[in-house]
Amino acid sequence: MTKKRLLLAIIIIAACCAVPFVFDPEKSYVVYFLFMAAIYVTLSQSWNLVAGYTGQVSLGHHAFFGLGAYVVAILWSRHLIGYLDPIGIILAGVAASMLAVLVGIPLLSKLRGDYFALGTLGLGEIMRLLTIQLGAFTGGPMGILLPSSSFGTILPHYFIALSLAVLSIAVMFYMTRSHIGLALVSIREDEAAAEASGINVLKFKVLSFAVAAFLAGMSGSILAYYVFTIEPQGFYGLNWTLYPVLMCVLGGAGTMTGPIIGGLLLTAVFEIARYFLPEIHPIFSGLFIILAIMFLPTGIMGLRKGAPQKGSAGAFDIRRSLKRAKGG
Amino acid sequence: MVKLRDTWLVGLAVLVTLVFFFSPTGLQGADKKEIVIGTPLPVTGVASQEGNEERWAYEEAVADLNAKGGIFVKEYNKKLPVKLIVADIESDPGKAAGAVERLVKIDKVDLLLSSFAANFVMPTAIAAEKFKVYYHGNTCFPVVWRGAHLKWSTIFFFELDKGAEIPYQILDTLPAAEKPKNFALLMEDTADGRAFGGGLAEAAKKYKWEIALNEPLGVAAKDYSAQILKLKSKGIDGAILFASGGDCVTFVHQMKEADLNLKYLHGYKGTWNGDFWKALGKDANYVLCDGFWSEDWPYPKGKELGERYSKKFGKRSVAIGLYYATCQILWEAIEKAGSVDSAKVKDAVMTNTFKGTVMGDVKYNPDGTAIFPCAAFQWWDGLQKTVYPFERSAGYKVKAAPPWNKR
Repeated sequence: MTKKRLLLAIIIIAACCAVPFVFDPEKSYVVYFLFMAAIYVTLSQSWNLVAGYTGQVSLGHHAFFGLGAYVVAILWSRHLIGYLDPIGIILAGVAASMLAVLVGIPLLSKLRGDYFALGTLGLGEIMRLLTIQLGAFTGGPMGILLPSSSFGTILPHYFIALSLAVLSIAVMFYMTRSHIGLALVSIREDEAAAEASGINVLKFKVLSFAVAAFLAGMSGSILAYYVFTIEPQGFYGLNWTLYPVLMCVLGGAGTMTGPIIGGLLLTAVFEIARYFLPEIHPIFSGLFIILAIMFLPTGIMGLRKGAPQKGSAGAFDIRRSLKRAKGG
Repeated sequence: MVKLRDTWLVGLAVLVTLVFFFSPTGLQGADKKEIVIGTPLPVTGVASQEGNEERWAYEEAVADLNAKGGIFVKEYNKKLPVKLIVADIESDPGKAAGAVERLVKIDKVDLLLSSFAANFVMPTAIAAEKFKVYYHGNTCFPVVWRGAHLKWSTIFFFELDKGAEIPYQILDTLPAAEKPKNFALLMEDTADGRAFGGGLAEAAKKYKWEIALNEPLGVAAKDYSAQILKLKSKGIDGAILFASGGDCVTFVHQMKEADLNLKYLHGYKGTWNGDFWKALGKDANYVLCDGFWSEDWPYPKGKELGERYSKKFGKRSVAIGLYYATCQILWEAIEKAGSVDSAKVKDAVMTNTFKGTVMGDVKYNPDGTAIFPCAAFQWWDGLQKTVYPFERSAGYKVKAAPPWNKR
């Protein structure tokens, strides 16, 4: 990272930190908007690691997100952790990454492309149904209600979410610029060649899957601490996969800044649509996404001068990735 | 070619615009012109039918109130009209809290009106709790709401355990020859379905009804023939069905195709809407449905409200009375409080008796709940005949269904 880029990153982070002191967090929507955007940026970056850099299109991120939320809910409701407990947040991430390793080894060794995507999609549904079936342990279909009287202000939630978003970017930065990143990209570009050149393909795939799950689990726990009601339909909803996928693809998968731009932009688009077009906002949002995918297949970051073009080796194009995995 | 710098500038411009857009606007203060009431409802998505029905009733209540000039608020020494702002939660509990954030922080609502069903009411009530904005709730089982120990909301609904007893109380009125011998519970695989299923199973024990089969029903499964054949093979001749409207229609269709004869079929949630009759016609006869209210009941303005709804939508409703009465209570509470302050309005809700609503007289208990008995109706030639509460049935007795080939 150049000094200029580092300075820019510091300025942006400082500006984000200053927002709650400029806009009253209790009265202004800005802080909540940035809080949610930070969660989506974390989810998008984590998906970016698996799909953008490793080329494995996962549709099961909501499984890790929901699991993270439930870990915190179960532990807090039994007084094993407290409100906004860092141990709870880390445990949420650890639990999600353990699930990713458990599921990732068989899935990633046997499945590719569409089949891997479908396999991970199934994982989300399994987690949702399992949560319902576990009855009193998980609160069943009604979920777990957490003590909302603990809530004082959005500020700690905001700064934790912001820190997690920065952490996810830092993790991405260091991973992708290390030998791990080289391995991941080579797996993405040509798995057979990567294997032939001595890279333990399964190990690196599972590693990226587990790190992504860790970040997703932590973001689920942060949202759980904010909404205080954790139930299967909300936290295992497919939107927690689809939105980060869209944000990452729109911003530019396989790039560092793509998920950030995509996260902020799509969160803003959805919010504006909900507010100004309440009757037809799903149509508007859907059209926006369709047009974006059609005309920006490599995302906004793909518009950069010198950026890898559609179809080239350096660009991540989701359609190409799935096609390649099918053997096309 | 677009440069990286340009991308950043575009992104920054978007953010700056958003920041100004989402910035707080000035409060009305002493020159308050209206009372702003927010409601987070499922306007789109799977629960949109119920959400939009509730929305219609709220909007009618607001229109009727504003036609009289609004509510006299002593604090401002004038009548203020009500402005209703609906925030769509997209039938997604994960978006419910965000909807309340928008209502409180962007729309600056004074008070909040209920969402629909426990899985949306709970996250929205809890979000309201964080901002200490009074949430005037309904359609959430009080036992669920009590578990959250909320201080800034109240609930107006029926008790789950009492509602679950109704089918068995009705069955006990049937002559012995018409009573089903083998009973089944078919609950959709959702939070409400499972919660209600648990209540129904418990109530069955209390009324000494043995459940021969207790099965989850797939949501939007489109084909229940395998399950129906299983019911037939077990000789099931009575069932309680908890499912959405489309699923109930599919189930009854396929019941008829498979010649599964149920003497008693009591539907919850999906059989109450007029679309159920529209889809099935006379095949819907004998099916029971739940509901909160009927325009046939002798409460003030009930008939007129029901006729207004029927005129607009070409069908009757057994729910709008609850939603309309929820508003009537809130309007009166604001007037009695003399203020739109959440604490004062909630206090007024808790300490007054609200007479003459379309649900009758309403009084809240010290725990913040106001309870009414869940109703049961039987479809008969396009009308929903009151079966329960028995004192509201006007002499109508529930009919056991003959076999399909004898109808």
